[in-house]
Amino acid sequence: MLTIALPTGRVFSEAAELLMAAGLPASSLASPGRKLVFEEENFRYILAKPSDVPLYVSYGAADLAFAGGDVLQESALPLVEILDTGRGRCRVVVAGPASLAERFRGHASERMWLKVATKYPRIADNHFSSKGAQVDIIHLHGSIELAPKLGLSDCILDIVQTGSTLKANHLEVLEHVSDVSLRLVASKKSVALRWADIRAVSRAIKSRCKEVRS
Amino acid sequence: MNRLPRGCANVGGDLAAAMEECKRVFLSLFEQWGYRPFLPSGLQLLESSWERLPSLFRQKLIAVNSPYGEPCCLRGDITLATVAYLASHHSPEERPLRICYSDRVYARAEKPRLAMESFQIGAELLGWERQGADAEMLFLLLRMLDEIGLEKSILLLGDATFLAKAVSEVEFSAAERIVGALQKGSLIEYAALLDEENIPDFYRAILQRIPELHGGPEVLEEAAALWGRGAPLLSLKNVVSTLTALGYGDRIAIDLSLVRELGYYSGPIFDVYSENYGQSLGGGGRYDRLLSLCGLQGQAMGFGLDLQHIASLSKFRTRSPSVMAWFANLSPDEALRRAERLATGGRPLEMSWCVDRASSLENAAQRGCSSWIDLSDGSTLDLATQGDGRTLPGKENFRC
Repeated sequence: MLTIALPTGRVFSEAAELLMAAGLPASSLASPGRKLVFEEENFRYILAKPSDVPLYVSYGAADLAFAGGDVLQESALPLVEILDTGRGRCRVVVAGPASLAERFRGHASERMWLKVATKYPRIADNHFSSKGAQVDIIHLHGSIELAPKLGLSDCILDIVQTGSTLKANHLEVLEHVSDVSLRLVASKKSVALRWADIRAVSRAIKSRCKEVRS
Repeated sequence: MNRLPRGCANVGGDLAAAMEECKRVFLSLFEQWGYRPFLPSGLQLLESSWERLPSLFRQKLIAVNSPYGEPCCLRGDITLATVAYLASHHSPEERPLRICYSDRVYARAEKPRLAMESFQIGAELLGWERQGADAEMLFLLLRMLDEIGLEKSILLLGDATFLAKAVSEVEFSAAERIVGALQKGSLIEYAALLDEENIPDFYRAILQRIPELHGGPEVLEEAAALWGRGAPLLSLKNVVSTLTALGYGDRIAIDLSLVRELGYYSGPIFDVYSENYGQSLGGGGRYDRLLSLCGLQGQAMGFGLDLQHIASLSKFRTRSPSVMAWFANLSPDEALRRAERLATGGRPLEMSWCVDRASSLENAAQRGCSSWIDLSDGSTLDLATQGDGRTLPGKENFRC
């Protein structure tokens, strides 16, 4: 039995579609309802909150998982990234009001002591400290775009897909941090001990990803 | 309740008992094979740790100043302290040197765990120049795992020299990036780097295959075929064939993408996994380079395991219920004398100094004791505690 964890929310349907398109027995994922665990033939699927998915894999509750690059960076768990599916593409950026743009065009020291609201405190810390800029990181769990508007922060660090939410809140991209996409990941243990099964799944998904891209 | 410093924890109850049992099994087995216990200092001088430890270890050190103003770190690694001690306290004629230890180590906390202190058991074998030392260490490790009930644990074996030789013809900074990508588990970045960097075709073909070299002993043949002559796998092959001959063939798996610090490890390396837990319980390998940094020549092999982890998965995790011996109003010396003579079948014994029989029985039931014995006449009750705390009549008799 190979256990695959899938993130609920935004990218669930893309991950489920990929599994089905790759020919894996995953028809139950088409309409999951409220169930969180599904079994079909030799596969078990676990549906979990996106930020918890890396933990399921790391602790051995799942052999494989789909997880966004942002979630993987933030978790910083020692997982093996096997495949970039190319799905769910977006960017992690620093965004803020246009008035802040000048500070981001100048020397890194111009960013000192900015208040940065984010769901990703680890990524934010790594990003700003790599530039030698000390900032105040405000850890929020949602509606990040509100923070500058309400004076809670100067800017935000968040994922952006089309940019329409930023625009609606009078924010603009100030700095690119990293590209994000949906990745297929596994634990080091599973890669080492269940490689034949994992390789078969990975190859099936990879061929499907290529077809879609071409 | 007293609050502990963040990142610290008290360990008590059944887990502490299981850890002590695992430690006892480990130390007695290794001491029986000539390994001597070693108790390193909790504080280490930063100057003697910094240069000798690999960068990943260094980043996790917790630096402090000693009360005498010397820059120190909390002991983050016992191997280094052991090797430094052995290098300065034993003459070359005394080698090989065998050391085992059980102590706390400290490292900067990393998400998702908050703990900065952990309990480590480990062993080191230094200064043996021929084959056999690696196999000895791994054989004893597997024996120990068997004895604590982890008979289904797996030893994942790799070889640091395999990857080191595969990148030996690659420009230094590119080689660092390639090894770094594999070490952090990004096969996506690893594949991209192999495409981008200037690598001779022969080595590129080997490097491209490395992430797929997992499995049984057949992987060694596959890997050897990639190299043609001169595959850097002799030490690993010897270990695998010896452990297989000793009946551990089904407990080992090969992973030639296994990476530990290349500047530190220099031969066979390994990780230990249990059946039902995703993370490594510990590991180790050959670290000849550290030995030379301490002024010693020769081979060194060692490992460290997380004692708390292995204890929580061990057969000792469920503590066997104890036997309660009621003193029955005998004089304390007489009661203790009689209790000492009891055969409890290996179960721990608890004395009961209650004045009356009923209170003692009730106390035994509450504490989950398996049996209760009256020391005045040796009569025994086998206690099967039910939901209402009622006790059932005894079935067996202990010799008194």
